[in-house]
Amino acid sequence: MKVKRPELSLLKKIFLVDLIKGLLLTFSYQRPSANYTEQYPKVRPKIAERFRGAPRLNNDPETGETLCIACNLCALACPEHCIEVGWERDTAGKKVLTDYTFDISRCMFCGLCEDACPTPCLELTQDFELSMYGRKDMKWDRQKLEEGNQPVVYTK
Amino acid sequence: MDFLIDYILIPLVKIGLILAVLPLAVAAITLFERKIIAFMQVRLGPMRVGPWGLLQPIADPIKLLLKEDIIPAGADRWIFVLAPVVAVVSAFIVFAVIPFGPAIRIFGKAIPLWVTDLNIGALYVLSISSVGVLGIILAGWASNSKYPLLGALRSAAQMVSYEVAMGFSIIGVLMLAGSLSLVSIVKAQESSGVWYVFYQPVAFILFFICGVAETNRAPFDLPEAESELVAGFHTEYSGFRFSLFFLAEYANMITVSAMAVTLFLGGWLRPFPNVSWLGFLDIIPPVFWFIIKIIVFLYFYFWFRASWPRYRYDQLMKLGWQRLLPVAMANVIVTAILVVLLGG
Repeated sequence: MKVKRPELSLLKKIFLVDLIKGLLLTFSYQRPSANYTEQYPKVRPKIAERFRGAPRLNNDPETGETLCIACNLCALACPEHCIEVGWERDTAGKKVLTDYTFDISRCMFCGLCEDACPTPCLELTQDFELSMYGRKDMKWDRQKLEEGNQPVVYTK
Repeated sequence: MDFLIDYILIPLVKIGLILAVLPLAVAAITLFERKIIAFMQVRLGPMRVGPWGLLQPIADPIKLLLKEDIIPAGADRWIFVLAPVVAVVSAFIVFAVIPFGPAIRIFGKAIPLWVTDLNIGALYVLSISSVGVLGIILAGWASNSKYPLLGALRSAAQMVSYEVAMGFSIIGVLMLAGSLSLVSIVKAQESSGVWYVFYQPVAFILFFICGVAETNRAPFDLPEAESELVAGFHTEYSGFRFSLFFLAEYANMITVSAMAVTLFLGGWLRPFPNVSWLGFLDIIPPVFWFIIKIIVFLYFYFWFRASWPRYRYDQLMKLGWQRLLPVAMANVIVTAILVVLLGG
């Protein structure tokens, strides 16, 4: 196929108008306000409020006890079956949370568990630094979920 | 005793200074280049080594020198080792004739800021810079590998097509100055009071285009063409030998800039040397005027690299032979007629 190019006028050819246009564009990009780079570990990026990142099990801020009622709805809602809720009945016959496993290696951060949770307990936070040294580290237990993810802080 | 000082000691000190300062200048302009291109591409460039990446030019050579030096099994050993030396030596010895500034007085002795004032200085620079291309061709041939050979072939063809136009473009200046010595060319600009870029604007543009092509920089970087030929002629080079090629390329950029400054922009002269009310500009010493002008040229080099795509092989030939060469010849003829009519 023959590509048709627009014919440049003679003046444009002699004075290299298009080349100079290109030069001016790159020159204008040098202004500091155009700069796009984020100095990531030094400067934290702004994360949108609705971003879904590392999961967390919230405690009651007054009593310090877990808000989870061990209803198992999050585990049922999860399309990846990456949540396991461990519970037992106390003397009054009420469900009590014993154990909670969240496998973030399989999680796709759809947020359905968060929607299913009837209490404000399970929450997908804005924390995005989820790299670990092994698959084992990606199975988070109840303690880790309550403390929240604590990534290594960059210092230099 | 005076003979020893004048002809042995002072030239040796000057040569030593050039050999010491030039690699440092090359290291500094690599950072300059990376920063300029980064800003033009809306990035920040090196930021992690030292404040604002200022120590990057120290980290880079250390990394290069500590790397393993590989010579491919099929390579022609002697030529492979020799090629970077040819490139770097020819890049360095050009600086023997470049006048950095007028004579300065130290201990009551007038010391000119050039190593030697050859009466065929311009010719010397042109011929030595062609020897630099020989280093590239040797490297491509000795590597015994496809990509370097293609790069070397391109380099040879490029040199043939641009050397001619470059030679023609400076003839106009030589006719105006009436000399081939770089020092007298600058002095002629001083006495006529006008930089030759105002008499020879076409020749200036031609010279700079050919200079960019001569140093294998974008948009004429066909011999190394990262996207087509891996790294072109230095694909098989590593470590110290690669850094020699790197040094030669950047030293050549400084040479072409220095030549353009000397021939067209009045060398160490301040802008408009004949306008007396601009005399306050003399507070900047002549050497710094020279350096500032070179830095402006280097900026243009990087600016071109950040802005323009590479020429295709046939476009490169067409530009060299069908556009630049006729214009350069026409410029020579017109200049010659005007010089005769207006009496120089």
